[in-house]
Formats: sequence, C-alpha cells, structure tokens
Amino acid sequence: MSSEHIDEVSGISTTGHEWDGIRELNNPLPRWWVTTFYITIVWAIGYTIAYPAWPMLTSATRGVLGYSSRNHVKNELAAAEAAKAKYVAAVKSKTVSEIAADDALREFAVAAGGAAFKVNCVQCHGSGAQGSKGFPNLNDDDWLWGGSAEQIQQTITHGIRFASDPDTRLSEMPAFGDIITADQIAQVSAYVASLSGLVRDASLIEPGVKVFAENCVACHGDIAKGNRELGAPDLTDAIWLYGPGEAAIAAQVRAPKHGVMPAWIGRLGETKVKELAVYIHSLGGGE
Amino acid sequence: MGLIDKHAVIEKNATLLLVGSLLVVTVGGIVEIAPLFYLDNTIEKVEGMRPYSPLELAGRNIYVREGCYLCHSQMIRPFRDEVERYGHYSLAAESMYDHPFQWGSKRTGPDLARVGDRYSNVWHVDHLSDPRSVVPESIMPSYAFLKDAPIDVKDFSTHLVANARVGVPYTDDMIGHANADLMAQADPNADSSGLEKRYPKAKTGDFDGNPQQVTEMDALVAYLQMLGTLVDFKTYDEAAGYR
Amino acid sequence: MNGNVIGCARLEMHVLDKTVERLEAEAVNSTKTRQPLYAPRKKIFPKRASGSFRRFKWLVMAITLGIYYLTPWLRWDRGPFAPDQAVLLDLANRRFYFFFIEIWPQEFYYVAGLLMMAGIGLFLITSTVGRAWCGYTCPQTVWVDLFLVVERAIEGDRNARMKLDAGPWTTHKLVLRVSKHTIWLVIAAATGGAWIFYFADAPTLLREVFTGTAAPVAYITIAVLTATTYTFGGLMREQICTYMCPWPRIQAAMLDENSLTVTYNDWRGEPRSRHAKRVQAAGQLVGDCVDCNACVAVCPMGIDIRYGQQLECITCALCIDACDGVMDKLGKKRGLISYATLSDYNANTAVATGGGSGAVKPSLLLTADGTFSDRLAHFHIRKIFRPRTFAYMGAWSAVGLALLYSLLARERLEVNVLHDRNPQFVTLSDGSIRNGYTVKLLNMVPEPRTIVVTMQGLQGAEMSVVGIDLPAARSFAIPVEPDRLKMLKVFVRQPANQVEDTAQTFKFRVEDMASFESDEYTATFNAPETAR
Repeated sequence: MSSEHIDEVSGISTTGHEWDGIRELNNPLPRWWVTTFYITIVWAIGYTIAYPAWPMLTSATRGVLGYSSRNHVKNELAAAEAAKAKYVAAVKSKTVSEIAADDALREFAVAAGGAAFKVNCVQCHGSGAQGSKGFPNLNDDDWLWGGSAEQIQQTITHGIRFASDPDTRLSEMPAFGDIITADQIAQVSAYVASLSGLVRDASLIEPGVKVFAENCVACHGDIAKGNRELGAPDLTDAIWLYGPGEAAIAAQVRAPKHGVMPAWIGRLGETKVKELAVYIHSLGGGE
Repeated sequence: MGLIDKHAVIEKNATLLLVGSLLVVTVGGIVEIAPLFYLDNTIEKVEGMRPYSPLELAGRNIYVREGCYLCHSQMIRPFRDEVERYGHYSLAAESMYDHPFQWGSKRTGPDLARVGDRYSNVWHVDHLSDPRSVVPESIMPSYAFLKDAPIDVKDFSTHLVANARVGVPYTDDMIGHANADLMAQADPNADSSGLEKRYPKAKTGDFDGNPQQVTEMDALVAYLQMLGTLVDFKTYDEAAGYR
Repeated sequence: MNGNVIGCARLEMHVLDKTVERLEAEAVNSTKTRQPLYAPRKKIFPKRASGSFRRFKWLVMAITLGIYYLTPWLRWDRGPFAPDQAVLLDLANRRFYFFFIEIWPQEFYYVAGLLMMAGIGLFLITSTVGRAWCGYTCPQTVWVDLFLVVERAIEGDRNARMKLDAGPWTTHKLVLRVSKHTIWLVIAAATGGAWIFYFADAPTLLREVFTGTAAPVAYITIAVLTATTYTFGGLMREQICTYMCPWPRIQAAMLDENSLTVTYNDWRGEPRSRHAKRVQAAGQLVGDCVDCNACVAVCPMGIDIRYGQQLECITCALCIDACDGVMDKLGKKRGLISYATLSDYNANTAVATGGGSGAVKPSLLLTADGTFSDRLAHFHIRKIFRPRTFAYMGAWSAVGLALLYSLLARERLEVNVLHDRNPQFVTLSDGSIRNGYTVKLLNMVPEPRTIVVTMQGLQGAEMSVVGIDLPAARSFAIPVEPDRLKMLKVFVRQPANQVEDTAQTFKFRVEDMASFESDEYTATFNAPETAR
C-alpha cells in the first residue's frame, strides 16, 4: 500500500513508497522525453512504409524503398567482384611464373588460392595440405609430376587419371603380382627400401638390384630417381605416398593403387586454377 | 492528462497489467505470425522440388535420430560469406517437405544445405566412419556403426503416409512402391526406371560400398548426396524471388 | 507562488536596503501544487555573479577550453618518419602519440590505467571538496557557461533576458535571437572541428575541411558534435545534469559528513526576514538571510540552496559569491552560504538550537560584540586528511606509479612467433624435418632499423625466410620500416639424424645491433616419432 505524502522541503509529492525511511520525490518527467517517444512512433510508421511490413489480404507491402535481402547480397557479390577486378584481370593475363614474381599480385593470388583450396581441395589433401595415405603432401619438396608453378597448374587443370579429361596426366604401374614371383617382389622391395635406409633384411638387396634392373628402370630410371614425365616416383627419397617400409612397397608393387585427382578447369575456371597453383607453389616445396 | 492519470491504475494493479500485456502480445503475434500462412508472397513455388524418395527419407530419419542437426545447419542465408562458401542461398521452398525443417545457424560443423554431390560416396563413408581420418581437427563423433545396421524395411510406406498426412504430396503410386523403391535405389543392378520417374534426379548406386545389404549408411549417404541438388539455379528467376 | 512571472503586481519589490533588491526567483524543483506527469522545462535565466569563486571558474574555463581547442595545434618533432603533431590518435595506423610517448594498440592498458586514475581521482576530489568536477570542470558546465556568456553579451543580464523572453516577437528580438543562436552554432561547429583535429594532422585537415576534400567521416563528426554541443549547451542545459548524467547519482553516494559541500548555514540565517531592521526593532529574533533570492537567481541549475544540498546542486559556488556580495552590502559577515562539512554544520546547528531542542537562535553563536564565538565550528585544512582520503590518494598514486614505471621500462623491440599448426611438421625428400613459423618483428620506434633474427638451440637446424633469396642460415638481418610490424614466414629445417625428440624447444632471438635492444621467444619444433 502506498501513501500520498508531500515533502515539506520542496513541496513535491512523493511516489508513496518508503524504504527505511527514505522517500522518493515524484517529479514530472521532462516533456522532451515523451516527445522523443512520440517521434520514435512516427519514425516506426515511416519505417514500415519504407521497408516490407504490412500484411494485406493476399500479399504484404513491399516498402517504397524496394529493399530485399536477396538483392542486397547480389549487389554485395557484384561489388566484391568489382573490387577484385583489377587483380583478377592481372592474374588472367599473366602466367603463373609472372604472378609469382610480382610481390603484390602474388600476395593476392596466394590469398585467393588459399580460399579456393579450403573449399575444394582440403577434403583429399587435408586442411593444411599435408595429405594422407594415397593423397600427396603438398608442403614437401617431392613432386610426382613436377613442382614448378607451371607444372602444378597443369596438374590442377587436367587432373590425374581423371577419365573425362582427355589431357589428364596418365600413368599406370603394372601389377607386378602377375608378372614376377613373390620372392622377386620381396627382393626388389628390400632393394628399394634400402635406397632410403629402411631395409629390414639386407640379404635380399643384391638379388633385388637385378630384379629392379630388369623390370623397373624403364619408368623409375637407372638410379631410381623417378621420371616426372611418367609420374614415376623418386624411390630414393624419404617420402612414401602409400607408406614407407618393405611391406608397403611390396603391396604397391604387387597391386598398385592409382590415385585419381579431378580435373578442376571445368569447375573452377582458369583464374582460380592459376591462383591455386601459385598458392600450392608457395607452401614451401615449390620449385 | 486524464488518460495519463488512468495509466496509473494499470501500473498499480498487477492483474490488470498482466491481462493487458497478454492482450497486446496476442495482437502482436497475430499480426506478425498469422499472415505468413496465407500471404502469397511468403510462399515460394520453385521448379524441381519433389518429396524425398524412400531411401532418402530413411536417411533423413537417421540424420534426425542421430542428432546431426545439433552441429550441422541446413540453411544458407543471403549473406556474402555464406553464399561464397556454401553456394546459392537456400530458398524457403527447398525445405517445404522437411518435417521438421533443418534451419539453423549453429555450425560446429559446416552447413549441409548444398552438400549434395560435393564429395564422393567413398569420402562420405570414410568421414562418417572416422571423421578424423579425413579431417584431422574434427570433433565429430564416429558413426561407423551405421555400416553394420541394416535398414528395417518391414513396411516403409508408413513413413510416406505419415508425411502425406502433414501435407507432403506423396501419391498412391509412390506409397505403393515405397519398399521396392527403397531397395532399388541402393542397388546398382536394379531397374530404377520407376524410381526415377517418381523421384526425378534421385541418385542410385551402392552408397556405402557394401552391395550385399542396404544399410543405414546407404540411406544416410543417399540423403546427404541429394541435399541442395533439386533446384536448377541456372533457370531460377532471381528477381522474382526477391522478398 | 508563481515565481517566473515578472511584474506581478501582487508582490512588492521590496528594497530591503538602498543597495539590495529582492529578486523574483523561484527554484525549478519546488511547487506546492499537484505535479503533472510530464512537464516542459521551467526556463531559468541565471544572473551574472561576481566574486572569488566566479573568478576561479573563469580561470578553470579558460584553461580547459584552451587545452581542448589548442592542443591539436601543438607540434612535436619525431623525425621524418612520424607525424609531428604533439597529441594525435592515428586510428588508420593504430598509433597514439602524446608528446614523447607513443602507444601501440597492444599497450592499451595505459588507457585502462588512466581511466582507473580518473575514477579514483574523482572519488578523491568528491569526498574532499564536493562535486568540484560537476561545478568547475565538467564539459557540460564549461560549455553552458560559455553559451551563457554569449547569451548575456547579446541579450543582457537576467532581467533584460526575462523581459525579452516574455515580450512579443519584434524585429529586434528576432535579430538578437538569431545572432545568439548563430554564434552558438559557430562555437558548436568549432567544438566538433577541434575534436576531429585530434585524429588527424590539424593544419592539413583544417585545409581539407574548408576546401571540401576531407573524408566524409570528418564532416559527419563535425555535424554530430555541432548538434550535440548546440543542443546540450544551448537548449537542454541543466536538464543534462538532472535527467541524463549518471554522475549526480553517484556523487551523492560519495559525499560523507566530512566532505566540503556548498551549504546554506541556516543556523545563522534563520529565521529569514525581508524586514530585518523592523523585526529587530520589535525585539524579535532574526537571522542573516534577508530572502533576497540572489542565490536562486545566479544558480545555473535554477535551484534554491536553502533547501539544502540536493541532486541538482553542482556545487559551483556561485551562490556563495552572490550571497557574500549581499552580506557585504549589508555590512554582515560573509559565509551565510559557504563550503562547509556536514559535521561542522550539525555541530553549529546543535549549538544554535540549544542542543537541538529549540528554535534556531543565531545569537547563541555570537559574542557580545557580534562576532562569531569560539564555539563556531569551522573548517580546518587538516580535516581533509582522513583515512578515506589517504586510501584514495594511495590507490591513485599506486596506479600512477605503476603506469610510470611501465612506461619508462618498456621495450621498443618485440618479437611474436606463431608456429604453424597445420601441418605441425613436414618430412622433406632427404628425410629432414621442416617446421613453419610466422615471425612478427615489432619495431616500435619511428626510425628504420635492421633487426638480426637468430635461432638458438636445435642442433644442426637452419632457417630460411620466404622472400629472402639467401641460402638457409642460423641468422638473418631484416630491415624493418619505422613504427611498423614486419611479418615473416620462416621455415626451420633440421636433418633427420639431429632430431632428438618429437617436441624440442629452441629460441628465436631478435636484436638491434645499434641499440642492443633485444627480445626472445621460445618456440617448439615438432617432429614425427620415426624421424629419430
């Protein structure tokens, strides 16, 4: 219950409540304050005229400004394209080596390529481009098909063993399980493993050298350094796409897995492919 | 000033204030919510939309059962960053047969509204079985058990009937062929002409890599692979869709 | 009592003395009638006061306005690579310059420290000398005072202004009002202008503003500040303090019985009478207050201090000046309204009411010859130094000293290192392991420097820097621009046979050979299990 009370000092009535003997003066609120409130109501009415608001019988008012969030995003995307236009045109007109040589343009291409990578490539090559079994690590300096910016561009453009692209990179390692004996496979695996210091049974190395010379040098080269034209890996380095060690090498020799990489030119267009190439090239292993 | 004096009556009487507030809120609700059900321009008609095929519906039921929506939304909003990452913004019509809809913006994992055809079936099976094998930093739980769980196909037509009851236009033909269509969609050797007639753009094949059984993995992957693929945005009239 | 109506014939203009007139003035926050819910502002026309506090306020106003308008124009030479404005908030480049001090965004805690000092300082001031911030230094008070100077200059003092306001709209009134508002708008625009000069080079920006080539945000800021200064200082005035500002509410909580506040000493002023001589001649009690209302007339808030210290009172002490002036004219002692503490006031009231029981009898505090007796409690400077004051001063100094020490001891060369998380390491074709790092060199002086980046630890490892075409090494000399952060991508590579553990630590050391400033960062080098 509240009680009316006039404060003796100021002559103003109090709100009627009392807390611990303290009362509150009930002064009038400033008129400008309630006027501002009325102005906000007027503003609100104006707002509903300007923007989509009032439901009618079969449709709603569209608002005199014709605003639509879908149109807004279309304009934003167009503005983004326009802002990038200068750089995109430069990327279009230059080769990947030229792009990599121009500091500012390279920075743009690396950022754009990184963004495209995150959307299109990370599912196989990993979010940090580190790859996994059967999917190459793009950070290192071991390249099956060449690590120059142009070679990377070619790989991305046409893919690897991608059936529907006529210019795709093709290589087929025969299934040596049908061609040589199991012993020979063990021997050549030991020899190959020894080339990077991973061999378990050293006695198999010498016969393995012979098996290698008869079957493998055609693609992998005399000293097993590989052949980029053919996509034949360098067997002397520490990087193994299907796993290191004699067992993994033997499995690949017996029934080789052949990785497939899509051709991206149709899906992404040349500009994005160039940007991706510059990005991959910048990851630390580019040649 | 008399009116303002009367205002004090409301402020000093709790019940009156409560009833008054309730009335105001009700009016506000009616004005804001009810029109959305009958206004023409809030209802979008879009070419290409069709109800879920039985296998896809089974997959969707698994999606909801497993609580995938807790981390994954299916609503691409008309914002530049979302359109650039996920594709065309989601149209209201694209979720019109979704009971319940999967709108949201909680994205512990990426939005799946247009995940259809983005990754291969093998990738999906790998990812669902062990997410960290393809995305090392993922915190998604493993759903490998789906591979071993066969679809319970005693009478799948009941699911279509249930959806039809809430407005999804399943025809008698579709309901009659429900079980057959479900099995046919996951079998690459089956005759899928009827399936494709009833459900255009439906994907067929052995989704989970195990042709012997139609498993829950088949269903879920079939569902994921069709998300966002129904509307052809090359023929969609953008300007007509502004609202 | 409808106070603001002039020339009401019912009340006589009593001339209490040849020299003291009674002013028609009623406090804005008093009324005997029932209040409406919303009411327009009661106009007030503060009369010009004169006295020592008024002079002090002019001085404070000159200093504060001077600092505000003139500071952006001060110059400070920092060499060819940095701006030469003494006080500058360079938002685009994220630097704050204050004479010889330069603050980077990561040193924003200095602002936090200064804000703490401002808060504690405010508590200190208020608890000792009352609402001195409000009455003397608050921008609202200062600008309203300035606008009142303009108003008085154009329209005259209180009576003239009241007459003009009540009168009809003649050409003369129109001319006066238009010129007043024009000058107000010019001052307001200059205020907005001065604000933007803190954020850019003042001479350049001034030229740009007047040639129309300044950035849109400059014009928008001027427009906004013109609107706010004009509205707050010219139109809303005391309403800002009464309705909008949180400080009046907080200040009240900070005053205690030993804080000096502007006090009407009713133990000597009551009972007030306009006909003092007549009453005295009749042998009755009379106090020093002659009800001339001078205190109400000069109050910029429009209140009556005789009601006591109230929320609206900003303790600007103009009523003290006004009342002292009247006391002088009447040959009475000054200090009817004075700065006094509540405890002194209570003590005096207790004496004057004979222990609190009777009516106020000022004579109880007077000696035979009319001067104040020794029983009068008045203020001593040592009363300021009580535990509360020491606590505030201690806290304020502690923060201040901490800031000072931090400022003097800080390094102007820093290194931040981010280890690549994805992937953590890369195995290269020869089996060696590589880790990537983003190394950020912070050169915080406005001069170009060559920083030598060296790695310490990690046997056999070498680093290469992207963009520097030299062979891998343990040390690189990197030129860094003045006042800039340089970001480098560094690859550290260790031969397989030198790897000792899956996670090894090593140091990046950066050094400026010229000044011997240096900084270090301990980084981690990851390697796979199989690398060893």
